[in-house]
Parts: sequence; structure tokens; C-alpha cells
Amino acid sequence: MRRLLFPCMAVLLLCSAIAAQMGGELRFCIPSEPNTFNPLLPQEVSSGTIIYLTGGVLLRVNRITQMAEPELATSWQVLDGGKRIHFQLREGLKFSDGTPFSAEDVAYTMQKLMDPELHSPTGDAFRSGEGKVTTRILSPLAVDIVFPAMVANLAKLFDTVPMLSSRSPQKDMAALGPFYVAEHKAGLYILLKRNPYYWKKDSSGKQLPYLDAVRLEIELNKEIEALRFSRGEVQMITSLQPDIFEKLASQNAAQVQDAGVSSYTEFLWFNLAPTSPIAAYKRVWFTSTGFRRAVSEAINRADMARIVFHGHAQPAVGAVSPANKFWFNAKLKPHPYDPDSALRRLRQDGFRLENGALRDQSGNEVEFSIMTVANNHARESMAAMIQQDLKKIGIKVNVVSLDFHAVIERIGETFNYEACLLGLLYSDLDPNGVMNVWLSSESDHQWNPRQKSPATGWETEIDRLMRAQASSGDERLRKQYWDRVQEIAWEQEPFIYLVDKNALVAISPKVKNAHPSALHPQTFWNAEHLKLEPSDH
Amino acid sequence: MKNVRIAAIAVLVVAMGAALGANYIAPASYEQQFRESPSASPSAQHLLGTDDLGRDRFARLLHGARVSLVLAPLAAAISTVLAAFFGGMAGYFGGWMERWALTVVDLFLSIPWLFLLISVRAVLPLNISPQASVVVTFLLLGFLGWAASARIICAGTRDMMKSEFVALARATGFSGVKLVRLHVLPNLRGTLLAQFWISVPVFIITEANLSALGLGVSEPLPSLGSLLRELQNVVTLRPEPWIFVPLAVLIVVVSCFQILLNRLSMERSSSERTSIERPGAPA
Amino acid sequence: MALKLLRLSAIMLMAGLIGATLMRIAPGFTADEQQLNSSLSAQSLQALRQARLANADLARFYLHYLGGLAHGDLGISQSLNQPVRQLLRERLPATLRSLAIALILAWILGLALAAAARLSGSRAFTLTADGVSGLFISTPAAVLALVFVVLRWPPALAAGLLIFPKIYRYCYNLLQQSYELPHILTARAKGAGQWRVLAWHVAPTAMPQLLALVGVSISIAIGVLLPIEVICDVPGIGQLAWQAAEARDLPLLVNLTLTVTFLTVCATTLSDVARQGFIREAA
Repeated sequence: MRRLLFPCMAVLLLCSAIAAQMGGELRFCIPSEPNTFNPLLPQEVSSGTIIYLTGGVLLRVNRITQMAEPELATSWQVLDGGKRIHFQLREGLKFSDGTPFSAEDVAYTMQKLMDPELHSPTGDAFRSGEGKVTTRILSPLAVDIVFPAMVANLAKLFDTVPMLSSRSPQKDMAALGPFYVAEHKAGLYILLKRNPYYWKKDSSGKQLPYLDAVRLEIELNKEIEALRFSRGEVQMITSLQPDIFEKLASQNAAQVQDAGVSSYTEFLWFNLAPTSPIAAYKRVWFTSTGFRRAVSEAINRADMARIVFHGHAQPAVGAVSPANKFWFNAKLKPHPYDPDSALRRLRQDGFRLENGALRDQSGNEVEFSIMTVANNHARESMAAMIQQDLKKIGIKVNVVSLDFHAVIERIGETFNYEACLLGLLYSDLDPNGVMNVWLSSESDHQWNPRQKSPATGWETEIDRLMRAQASSGDERLRKQYWDRVQEIAWEQEPFIYLVDKNALVAISPKVKNAHPSALHPQTFWNAEHLKLEPSDH
Repeated sequence: MKNVRIAAIAVLVVAMGAALGANYIAPASYEQQFRESPSASPSAQHLLGTDDLGRDRFARLLHGARVSLVLAPLAAAISTVLAAFFGGMAGYFGGWMERWALTVVDLFLSIPWLFLLISVRAVLPLNISPQASVVVTFLLLGFLGWAASARIICAGTRDMMKSEFVALARATGFSGVKLVRLHVLPNLRGTLLAQFWISVPVFIITEANLSALGLGVSEPLPSLGSLLRELQNVVTLRPEPWIFVPLAVLIVVVSCFQILLNRLSMERSSSERTSIERPGAPA
Repeated sequence: MALKLLRLSAIMLMAGLIGATLMRIAPGFTADEQQLNSSLSAQSLQALRQARLANADLARFYLHYLGGLAHGDLGISQSLNQPVRQLLRERLPATLRSLAIALILAWILGLALAAAARLSGSRAFTLTADGVSGLFISTPAAVLALVFVVLRWPPALAAGLLIFPKIYRYCYNLLQQSYELPHILTARAKGAGQWRVLAWHVAPTAMPQLLALVGVSISIAIGVLLPIEVICDVPGIGQLAWQAAEARDLPLLVNLTLTVTFLTVCATTLSDVARQGFIREAA
């Protein structure tokens, strides 16, 4: 009997050690109440987080390698020059309520996605031409999706399409991802529990996810989020502000990580819309490439990155951040800080400096306002720095901070602004994702939207290049076209790119297998592999 | 108490003098960014250190105090006068006039004025100067901040209309606005002064919060309220004591105001007691 | 009673309409953050805009809303996609609890401190009380709320501390005012004890205004509590109000305005009734 005791105890200890490595509840914060649980509708950050953790997709873009990897589909093929995609599905998959998953659900999802009444941004990304999108069910595990025209970057778009069940009584809430929504306490938290039918296993055959649950605490205030992290109430923070990053780093350097440059860019642009109510003489300034280049050269981007972002940002180059490994034009460099060159350009344009104030040819003092969204300390600080930089070349800048909706209305509808400072996160790496920004006829062509015909030669050229890359199936060729767009944007500076922010995250050392990415979602892109130390169960 | 009063006057004189003379006293411009030393600790060059853009905190405190300590009392005076007028008239006339006035007051207390403020910003020119923007802001606060006190003044006026000295005043020929102004409101001085004293710091802080709507000061002009907003980072991030100086200044100034207003109230009351004891003498 | 209910209903409806109108005319009503989503097609953006314009006709929206209100349907929140009735049912209790705690604390502190300062006759005590109230009235709500979060104290107490200086100031000045009335001086001169003078002579004199202050303190408390709820993540209507303002959520805003108006007018009406009752009894 005693001879058996020791081995039994050893086995027991081993089992409990293995068991102790599984489970636990990961906690982190989302900034607001989610506005929808429907994965096909427009989402804000909170909804997007929940849908990422609960949604099952046919393939997933690995946030580190930026390559597509099989998920619900074991393989895929893009055929007919990008007009058709064939998926082979994994066998034996079930939704979180046990409802089987099959090709029928793919067809159902595509039908819902492409419903014109839904106005899904994901669906819009697939709309390449007139005509219906059809899905052919070849077998329970094989499906073809056919588009009326070629869709660039077709395969990777499916990273953003969670599959819906056509048969589950839970409808949108039936999940194929690692977790499902178990509880929602309004204003407090959303609890996600492990999906018992999740298909993925680790290398030793153990079913994933390792975690029992993920609790998403609703927390509006960034300082309080940091406080809760310091207390151990939450274990991760995505998109840390630089000053909070420094504070947490001073407490314990191991708990924060700078994942490198992200695809979040801050930029400034002038209002070039001919119908805008701004003074005509100001529109003359703004439409001059020389003026825009001069303003760009007078802004000290390095100081901005160092002071506002505590070194956790880098001077931006152009339309694409270096975080976008394949599509970034590595030949381009940030515009230099050179106030003397700026003044030379301005003189060439007929401006002159008189008693410290810059005047145009008609004698008007150069003064304009920069509009930005209020309550964003970093952006207001950037505006204050730009104000000081441009003062050195005689330009007077007024900083106008308005509430978010008022800014959107001015830049999208009334065009009652002179310059605008904003930041945007480009979650879609492919240039097709920003077609609406670069095509002069589209509404996101911020500096002069919805043009009937391009106002300038360089916009005509950009239109041509964007359409060419959208209709080409050859990635090398598409890269050439997109590189040229970036070069034109660099020369003409309709957007004055300022800084690319780094991805700053905080992850408790008790969280294992975390490999933060510079791309969204930075901390939990591999949520199914995350583990917690036993003491945190 | 006399020494305390003298000290309060001295503090206020120094504070106002420093604020008004900011251009001469401040070691640097409030907007100059010493970019090599952001968030610096106090030193000989920067008495209160620098903010996160390298701007001298002491200079910003002086200029911020000038903005807030001049405009906030002005706005407080406007709200006090409006409260006195509406509350006094409502209480004097009573009946349906009082009911309508109190209905307006209750509406004023309930309406979300946030959107009016957003609309006001929309009609202001984009290139409005920071100084003009902050003046408009404080004026708005003055015109919107009177309702709570008006109710209390109305109640006090109603009560006083039944008092003997008002009856005496009526008998000697006082009526209407003159009666309210000369006999009723002076006896509500305590309430009016309370309204004034409360409004000053409340308006200073509210002005800073309104910067979320594009009102209030804009870069680079500081105000006491905008300097107080930095404290929101202090609690969780940087508990450096010199960052609390604007709060200390506001507390000291507000307390000194209070001491003087108390004294003013007491002195006026004692002189009116003397006049009441001699009926017929002008108040 | 019927008249009072009618008045309450009329004020609620007017406040809701005015609030809705202000939101409608404020810039950004038809704007949606999805306009910055470069994935959306022009048709989708247009559809989004049309959806927001659905409530643009204010008269039609309000009539439709009133029709629903008659059946207990408060509409659907545009930003949260949930029935407003459900949202209020979940959130209102938390706010009412915090409101009650904050007001009780504020009144106990404010009234007790004012009475103690007046009764003690000690300049040092009065100065200390003035200083403490000056400290809390000068501290931004956000800062105090964050301190309470750090210390893990209930946010309602922070609200109470921010409200009490106003109550203290009004109460102190009212007591000061009352103590200097001739009949109070006579009572004191005749040897009446401090407590007797306070309870039998001063309190009745100050009561009408005090009761009015009770009514408006609800409105003051709501104004202080809502931002604290946002900062301290109390799942009350403060968060909803913030959401409604940020997202220009008209159905949510109208309902919140009605709720706040209801609380405010009930409080002021009750205080008016109490005041009139008190005056009748005293007569």
C-alpha cells in the first residue's frame, strides 16, 4: 500500500498542476456600453471587442505575421481572377449552443451581410460592382462565393466576417469563437464564458481556450483603468496613453510593453472644398502645394513624438504606417523639420514676413484655425505645439476644440472649418480599405470630398492608380500602384501626416502566452491561447 | 478678527496685483514652450516647474488667475443680480406672477443647457480670440446660473412682505421696485452674498469643463480652471505638490472673499439696525 | 393637488420639448462617427444620415413620443439599441440611492456646521468651517471623485462633500441674517438661552428660505452627482446622460430630461407646500 502512495501522490500533484494552469477569468476594460452584438452591423470599440472574442471566422489574419491562417475553413482558393472564392470547411464544428456549423451557415451569413438594407461596412467592402453575390453550397463542407466583379484582397476580408447560425434558436448570440456572451450587466460588465464547443486544440491536443472566462469591465476613465490595473483588478490594458505607460513602467517595467509602431496616425489637413464658407483668400493659401509643404516643414514632428508621446511615437512618413509591413513604401522618409526651407517656399509663393507676421501678396495676415476634437489631451497638446512652431514663421494659429459630433458635421457636411487635426486607426491593411479616402468622388476624401471630377491633376492620377490597384489580381502590381499613390501624397501633402503612434499595452506578468501586436486588437488577438497563473484563478 | 480681515485684504490685493501685473512679473510668456524641459520640477528658472509642454507653470498661474479672478466675480455678480431681480419681483407680486416665475425657474433648473452652449460655440467665429471666447463663456455662465438662488430669494421676499418693517415702509409710501430694492433685498443680503460667493469658484471650474464643448479658454491661454483640470492626472499619475498650487490659490482667494463678504454683511446689518431704530430715516 | 399635478406635467413636457429642441438645433445632430469609417459606401453613409434624420422633424418626433408615453413606451435608445424604459429601470435606483446619501450627508454637514459656527461664537471655528467649505467648493468634482476611487470610498460621499459648502454658506448667512433681526436681539437681550433662541426664534424666521433651499438642493445635487457617476462608473443615469449627449441620442435625452424635471419639480413643489404649511401654522 505504501509503495503505491508516493506514485499516487505524484500523479495527483501533476494533475492538479496541469489543471491549475487552465482556467481563470481574464479581466480587462472596454470604454463604453456596447451598441450592438450583431457582428455584421457597424461597431464601436466595445462591440468590436466582444465580437472579436465570440465570433468565428473562416480565416484569421495573424496580427504578428500579417498572414492569413485557417480557422473555420481548412483551406481556400481565390479563383476566376478574384471573382470567386472556394472554402473547404472544417469537419464537426458546432456553435456554442451545440448547433452544427455547415456550408449552409456560410451562405446564410453572406446573404445577411450583403443585404443592402443592412448597410454593413463589412458588406460594403465586398461590393465590387453591380449585381448580386451568390453562394453555391457544393457540400456540407464546401462552398463557393461568387462576386459580380473582382474583389481585391478577397481572402483577407473574411477575417472581419464572423459566421452566423441559420438554425440556432440563439440567433446572433450563438458563437463559434473561443467565448460566448454569458452575462451582461448594464453599465458594469459583460461576462464571456468559454465556448464548450470551440474547435481549436493546442499542440498537445488540449481543447482551447485555456481561460474559463473573460470579464469586460466598462470603464470610461483611463486613469481609473490604470489604477485598477495597478491594483490587479484588471490584467490587461490595450491602447495605453503614453503618460500612463510611463507611470506603470516606473512601478514594474515587466508589466508594460511598447509593441512598436502601430497603424494609428495623427494628421492635419486643410479644407480645400470650393463650396466651403471660408474666406476666398484663405482657400488660395490652402490650395497651394507650396503653402502646405511649408506648413509641413515648419512642424517639428520629432518634438511632438518626444514630448506629447514620451518617445512612443515616430514622425509619420505618409499614408501608410511602417506597421503595415507589405504595403508601406519604404523609400519614403518623414518630411524634415526645416523652418528656413518653409520660409523659402512661402516667399516663392508670394508671402512675406513683416514684423514677425506673415502676409500674403494682398497684405492679408496669415492666420487660420485648426479644429480638433475636445477632451483629447494629446491632440490638444499637438495643436499647441503646431501653434508655436508656425508662430516662428509668422503664421498665427487659433486652436478650436469642439465636441466630436460638431467636428464630424463640419468636416462632412457644412465644411465650415479651415484646418482639422485628427487621428485615425487603419485596421484594414489593404489599400482597398481606404478607397473612399483617396478617390476624389468619395465622401471620405476629407480635404475635398464628393468631387464631380478631380480638381487637380494629381488627384486625377491618384484616382487612376486606386482604380487600377482595385481591379488587379497581381499583388506586386497592386503594390506598385499603391506605392505611387503614397509618393504623390507625400509630394502634394493633402494630408500633413504628423506622427505614427506606438502600440502601448499593459499586461500583467500573470498573463501567459501574451504576444502584443502593433495591430488591433493589440493584446487579445490570440485570446484562445492566453493563460493565467494559478494564483489569479 | 480685525487682523484676519486685514490679512484677507492683503492677500486679495497681492493676488489681484500679481494677476493684473502678470505681464511684468511672470518670468516667461505663458505660451513659451521650453521643450528641453517638459514636466520639470521647480527650479530657479521655473518657480513652479513646467507643464507637460515645457511651459512655465508660474507664468501660467499668474495669467490664468488674471482671467479667472476678473471674469468669475463679474459672472457671479450677473447671476446674483438676475436672481435678485427675478426672485424679488416674484416674491413681491406673488399670486400668478410668482407661480409663473417659479415655473420659469424650475424649467431653468431642469433643461440640459449643454446643447445651448454647443450651439453658442457654433455661431462664434472659428478664429475668435481666446480672450473673447472666455469672456463669452463667463457671460453665459452668469446668465444661466441664477435659477437656484432665485427660488430662495423669492421665498425670503414672500416672507418679508408680511413683516412689520415692510408694512411700515409701505405706509410711508414705498412700493414696487423701490420697496424691494431698499427694504426687502438688503435684508436678503445674506442669501445674495451666499449666491455670489458660491458662484465664483463654481464658475471658474465650470469654465474649464466647458472647454470640452469648445468654449472657455483655448490654447495657449490658461485659466485657473484649466490649470485645475491637470489635477485629474495627479491623483493617479503624478502627485507632485507644486501642481496643487492653483487649487491652493483658489481656496485662499475664495476664503478671503468669504471673510470680507461676511464682514460686509455684518457691517451693513448693524448700520441698518441703527436706521430702523430711528423710523423715517433713509435706509 | 390636481393643479399641482397639472403644473408638474406641463413643466415636464415643456422641459422635454425645450431639451429636444436644443439638441436638435445644436451642431452635430445628424453626424455619426461612422462617417469616418472608410469601409462604408456612399449609399450606406446616406442611409445612416437618413436614419438620424428620422428624428429631425421635432414636432412629429415629440408627438409620436407622447403617444408612446401614454402607453408606457419610452422609445428605443438610438445609441444603445435598447428600450429606454429598461435602461431607466436598471439605472435610476442607483442614482436615487446616491442622491439620497449625498443630500443627507450634505445637509447634516452643512446645517450642523453652520449652526455650530453661529452658536459657538468662536472666530477660529468659523474660519475653520469657512476654510473647509472653501476647500470643497474649489475642488473640481472630477478630482474629488478620483480621490474617492483611489481611497475606495463611496462616490455618493464625494457628491455630499461637494454639495455641503453651498448648503453651509446659505445656512450660515440665513442664520446670520436672522440673528440680527430686532425680535431676536430682543429675545437674547431678555436672557433667552442659545438653544431656545435658535429653536424658537431663529429657525422659524429662517425656515421659509431653508425650505426653499431644500427644494433647490435636489437640483444642485443632481448637477453634482451626474458627472461623479460618469467618473466613478456608478451604473446610474449619469452614464446614460453622458451617452445621450455624446451620441445625440434624442429619445434617451428627452426621457432623462423628463426624469430630472420630475425630480426637480417634485422637490421644489414639496418644499413650497412645506413652506406654505409652515407659514400658515406660524400665523
